[in-house]
Amino acid sequence: MPLGTIDRTPPPFFRQGFSARSKLIFFAALAVFLMVADTRFKVIEPARAALATALLPVQRTLAVPVQMWQGGGDYLRGLQQAQAGEREAQARLAAQSERAARAEQLAQENARLRALLELRPALVVRSLPAEVMYEAADPYSRKVFIDRGTTHGVALGSPVINEAGVLGQVTRAYALSSEVTLLSDKDAAIPVLNTRTQQRSAAFGGGAAGSGGMELRFMSGNADVQVGDLLHTSGVDGIYPSGLPVARVATVERRVESGFARIELVPTASPDGVRQVLVLEPLALQLPPRPEATAADAPVRAERQLKTPSRRAPGTP
Amino acid sequence: MIMPRGSDQLLLPVNPFFIAFTLALAAAFNMLPLGRQPALPDLLAVALVFWNVHQPRRVGVGVAFVFGLLMDVHQGALLGQHALAYTLLSFVAITIHRRLLWFGIVEQALQVFPVFLAAHAVSLVVRLLAGDMFPGGWLLLAPVLEALLWPLVTLLLLAPQRRAPDPDQNRPL
Repeated sequence: MPLGTIDRTPPPFFRQGFSARSKLIFFAALAVFLMVADTRFKVIEPARAALATALLPVQRTLAVPVQMWQGGGDYLRGLQQAQAGEREAQARLAAQSERAARAEQLAQENARLRALLELRPALVVRSLPAEVMYEAADPYSRKVFIDRGTTHGVALGSPVINEAGVLGQVTRAYALSSEVTLLSDKDAAIPVLNTRTQQRSAAFGGGAAGSGGMELRFMSGNADVQVGDLLHTSGVDGIYPSGLPVARVATVERRVESGFARIELVPTASPDGVRQVLVLEPLALQLPPRPEATAADAPVRAERQLKTPSRRAPGTP
Repeated sequence: MIMPRGSDQLLLPVNPFFIAFTLALAAAFNMLPLGRQPALPDLLAVALVFWNVHQPRRVGVGVAFVFGLLMDVHQGALLGQHALAYTLLSFVAITIHRRLLWFGIVEQALQVFPVFLAAHAVSLVVRLLAGDMFPGGWLLLAPVLEALLWPLVTLLLLAPQRRAPDPDQNRPL
């Protein structure tokens, strides 16, 4: 047997490095520190953003074989599908054109009426088209990654919609990509308006486990909610513009023992298979700044502070 | 030299580039944008455990930690979740590496199954503590698939070391 075919260098006696146990303690402690820092303090966001940007070319490259695999079938039955798709799009366009023409007219009329009543002009929402790169593989949350980041003007907290309705919100904005938390995530919440009853409420993600649905919480047992009601954004949060479709009521369960009704929702925009999305600018960026405290407020506040010295006076930051 | 009973031959020395290549390949598989599949086996974990068992002096806890961070950032998960799971995996693998290689392939797979199960359990507990949603029962399938992959991974990753030491015309590889 020739030399060099088996590992002939004996392991060193003294330079063994750290033991596996000390390494375990060090790295486990580091991991726990990172987790706490990630959830509680936002100190390591820059490091995560840098790593995410460095990983982006790898992710883009790896998406190619998957897209080729998914697109392979389309090549075979491509022509018919494309023609059918075009017919459908034309039909939809024709149906929408009448509405669009009327909307234009209504917008002008609305602007004139607002000017007449000396109201503030309605907010104009700036938007940015983006494409979904991939769905996060993390089974504990519902997130997608889009291919637009802070360099393209995506701000943290921007609402993300598609043609069917609200999809979610940007929760992490990296340089060239962003993470969008979908409405069905457990931590997602959105203020909604029932279009039938004009009643405001709040919808939360994470309905029945793994269903991808949402839940309308804190609605009293006799609240006027029916199956099939359409919920729109109400626009009171300063993030989502009002009037975007959010979800439809799927089931209403009124229980005697609990004061609240259990209402399950189905989002109108299904996140599966969505590719093209629109990133809107958060409304809060367009709202006027809070008015500064004027000299007229000062004596009132001083008086209040005298009365309740332990509490902070209202209006102070 | 004491030969482990399960092994049939002396192995050639491992090529460090092959280790790096296989780890990168496993990480690339984990990063394929296949969507949310709780039952998808974590190939990177299998590869890390394999190299920790077979080459504990080359692939250690630190490598596992770094790969864990990469997976965290890619998945948008809690930063440190995979890092902690892979660190524990790697430590257990290094702890059992002298004993494990005396067994046959099937017994090895049976013994690494609880290790993979524990790694997933650590991830689950961490995420539930952080207040995230329960992903459903399909998550249990992942460690089973990882243990089932162990014989295949052993066959593939040990193949370069099982080549003939003196290749000739009858044994070109």
